[in-house]
Amino acid sequence: MIDIVDNDPIKIMLVDDHLERAASVEEKLTAAGFIVLCRLPTTTGLLHQIEQHQPDMVLIDLQSPGRDVLESLSVLSHHNPKPVVMFTEEDDPAYIEAAVDAGVTAYLMDELNPKRVKPIIDLAIAQFKSYQSLRQALDEAQRKLANQSIIEKAKVLLMKKHNIDENKAHKTLRTLSMDTNQSLPDAAKSVIELMEKTVV
Amino acid sequence: MNNKMLKKPLPSPEKKEIKLGYMRLSDSAPLILSQELGLFSKYDLTVSLKRDVSWANIRDKVITGALDASQMLAPMPLVTTLGAAGIRAPIITGLALSLNGNGITLSPDLWKKLSNHITNCGSPYFNQRSKEEYLKTNKQITFATVHPFSTHTFLLRFWLKSRGIDPDKDVKIIVLPPEQMVDSIAQGVIDGFCAGEPWNSIAVSYGVGVLAASGSQIWNNATEKVLGVLEDWHLKNPATHLRLRLALMEACEWLADMNNRELAIKVISKPEYLDISEHSLRPSLTGKIAYNRVNDSHDLPNFHVFSKYNAGFPWRSQAELMLKECENLLGKEIEQAKISSISQQCYRTDLYREAARHLNITSPDSDYKTETITDQFSDLNNGINESETPAIRH
Repeated sequence: MIDIVDNDPIKIMLVDDHLERAASVEEKLTAAGFIVLCRLPTTTGLLHQIEQHQPDMVLIDLQSPGRDVLESLSVLSHHNPKPVVMFTEEDDPAYIEAAVDAGVTAYLMDELNPKRVKPIIDLAIAQFKSYQSLRQALDEAQRKLANQSIIEKAKVLLMKKHNIDENKAHKTLRTLSMDTNQSLPDAAKSVIELMEKTVV
Repeated sequence: MNNKMLKKPLPSPEKKEIKLGYMRLSDSAPLILSQELGLFSKYDLTVSLKRDVSWANIRDKVITGALDASQMLAPMPLVTTLGAAGIRAPIITGLALSLNGNGITLSPDLWKKLSNHITNCGSPYFNQRSKEEYLKTNKQITFATVHPFSTHTFLLRFWLKSRGIDPDKDVKIIVLPPEQMVDSIAQGVIDGFCAGEPWNSIAVSYGVGVLAASGSQIWNNATEKVLGVLEDWHLKNPATHLRLRLALMEACEWLADMNNRELAIKVISKPEYLDISEHSLRPSLTGKIAYNRVNDSHDLPNFHVFSKYNAGFPWRSQAELMLKECENLLGKEIEQAKISSISQQCYRTDLYREAARHLNITSPDSDYKTETITDQFSDLNNGINESETPAIRH
């Protein structure tokens, strides 16, 4: 490893269709003193973009079909002499697992010192992971909200149909849920289906 | 050999819940049909099929255990065991899932230009002079393949060489995801590609591509996709692996009957599987291929081969040929001893034979056969020359 190369800042390209996530990864990397050349969605001529931007390293979302494109650069590169080495060449399987789990992987365009690259990948993995848990929390919140509105709808239908108050409607729904061994939202769904059928 | 005498009762699976990877391609049919025909359950396995977006992902997920097994490109177990493509891990196969199934599609413009340089009857072939002339007056010709270490790359290189074109010097070869081939050729980003189906048929039906050769016409009955597992996974789960192969072999046998292909098309077309129109899947799977938009379809019943001709057998002769071809891509020689040891380690003919005995299928006696790469494309080229695409004849 040559010292001069070692001191040059590493230029990074981000390939990710999740714009928010890409932005958060960029923010963290920039804050840590790395240079992010660009963020790209997966479908826009990856090879052309690499030629244009000449990155030292590409961080790519596992959901991008572009991974096969990147892997080709090291072998089909008679016209593009830059070697590409996948970082996961490191023989630590736990490391590959962490990257696959988080959904991100990295390709190096030059022979960079793994010690310099590792913090970048660690950062990306951490950002992808926190995005993942954020996403899960958001999905969960949305699911709860959707369930709540289903229950409300079923209650309103029951109240109208049987001319009962909200408390009674809730009780009816709860009894149905227990009797039929369904969750409350599922019981509400079947009530809605049934009511809508009988209306028609 | 008396198969029945060797048949043993099927051992219980070590693992019943299996995650099985596949890609969005017509020749994923065996995996999807195994599921839909209830063959995995017949062998007491609960399989979840996982569609993926890149071969690199499939390889990494098999290595990390996120997938138990997966459809793979035929060279992938060899190259990964060799460690030629970055990551190194021993991956083996005991079953080939399909033979052939690829095509080389050219832009109508490149097809026309090549046809102008026909030097021997009917088929486009450059002689030294016309080639030099052509390359001088034309911009860089770019071809795309779907993965560096794939039959697609090998077929493309064989075909180019047979046309008098040097794949390393005369053209540029890049990799694109199969789903981007049609757009890329339509926009002139590439002049031709070698990909699996339905991407050739889609390019042809949009009129943005002319099918110049099918895989079967270049290297007939080349192993295309295999069932790949980590060697270590096999050692821990030999009975599960056997059951997986048996289910898939039965699905392949079902697919070998052309009468079942329409139903197969209907099933794999569904949104939860390939999510591709039946119309696009039909040509290659029914073996009725149009070379360009205007001419009639031609009969190529072996465009995809499942089960027939011992299609499931992982020929070591093919493994050796593929590794030999990798030398060109890596730009270095692989020792013959290494080629033969990797072929034996990864292409597990013993595992195929074990499964075949259970199904009373006769296996080949040898692990090696003569492989023939053709450079005669009379059938297809006649087909194309009948079309409206003008071909100047001498």
